[in-house]
Amino acid sequence: MENVATDENWKICFSQLAPGLLLFARQWARSTADAEDIVQEAFVRFWRKQHDIANRGLLYATVRSIALDFLRRDSRRARRESTAVSEMDQTVQPLFEIEDESQRALVAALDLLPREQREVLVMKIWNELTFAEIASVLEISQNTAASRYRYALAALKKNLPAV
Amino acid sequence: MNDFSEIENKLRKLRPVQPSADLMSRVERALPEEGQERSSQLRSETARLASTAGVLPQERRFHFNWLSLGLGLAAAAALVLFTRIQLERPEKKIPTLASITPAPQFSSPTSTAQFVPAGLTQVVYHTRDEGVHFPNNSEQPMRRVRSHTRETLRWRNPTTGASLRISYPSEEVSLVPVTGQ
Repeated sequence: MENVATDENWKICFSQLAPGLLLFARQWARSTADAEDIVQEAFVRFWRKQHDIANRGLLYATVRSIALDFLRRDSRRARRESTAVSEMDQTVQPLFEIEDESQRALVAALDLLPREQREVLVMKIWNELTFAEIASVLEISQNTAASRYRYALAALKKNLPAV
Repeated sequence: MNDFSEIENKLRKLRPVQPSADLMSRVERALPEEGQERSSQLRSETARLASTAGVLPQERRFHFNWLSLGLGLAAAAALVLFTRIQLERPEKKIPTLASITPAPQFSSPTSTAQFVPAGLTQVVYHTRDEGVHFPNNSEQPMRRVRSHTRETLRWRNPTTGASLRISYPSEEVSLVPVTGQ
């Protein structure tokens, strides 16, 4: 992974990271558009601070922080617009490009995971972060990160016996 | 961990939804142009910031307080000048008219910048006639005139164009010979 040193570099890095970052942000955002806003803000903030793109933990921590702020703002807005929110819940946009029924079942099982396990899974599987990096993002120990990952896989395996 | 390898493979086959086509252009618009110029500083920053993983990125650069520095320098310069003027103020003794003392030329010992005298103005704003006296057992009577003035000295640095002005009040006593009629 290269530094965000030039205009071309950030484009390459961003195109590689964007799908995973988007999936990570979607855990807190109801729609893809909201998640894109979060990713955009996080990446721009990260780039402006001239951080090393190899420091992925910091990038994901930024996304998480902005997403949590967004969630707090969104919750306040949702309380004011409770009717609109209930309609939004019925039209949740997909997180994955589903190809068959087994994948649909897997995604449904993912949705049932506790958020703390799901975010570890998202960072590990689709963003390829190490447990050390995940631990730094979540400010937990590496053992805790690894445990959450194992619990998540165990829960998925339990909920999908055919897998 | 091998127990989970199969489900891990299944999960890896799931492809996240791709971002919309305009996300890249939105980021590009949001990134400031000047940020690209700063990219040369990136590597030096990187090493220092690498240890901040896990916390929110925060601006940790050293911010120099220019206001404090400026005020401090101004205070120091004023103190030095005030001390110098106190030392160099000529003793004003009788019997002289107010005279213009050549302004001192001063310079920083470590700098080529020199201030040269640019002028001195003396404004008399009050004069009082204190009558005829015979000072120092002099046979000739002299009229003593006490005047209050404000002197302003100016220096100028010809190389930088900077100027310096010091103003202070002074009191002078003049003895004017009284001529007989």
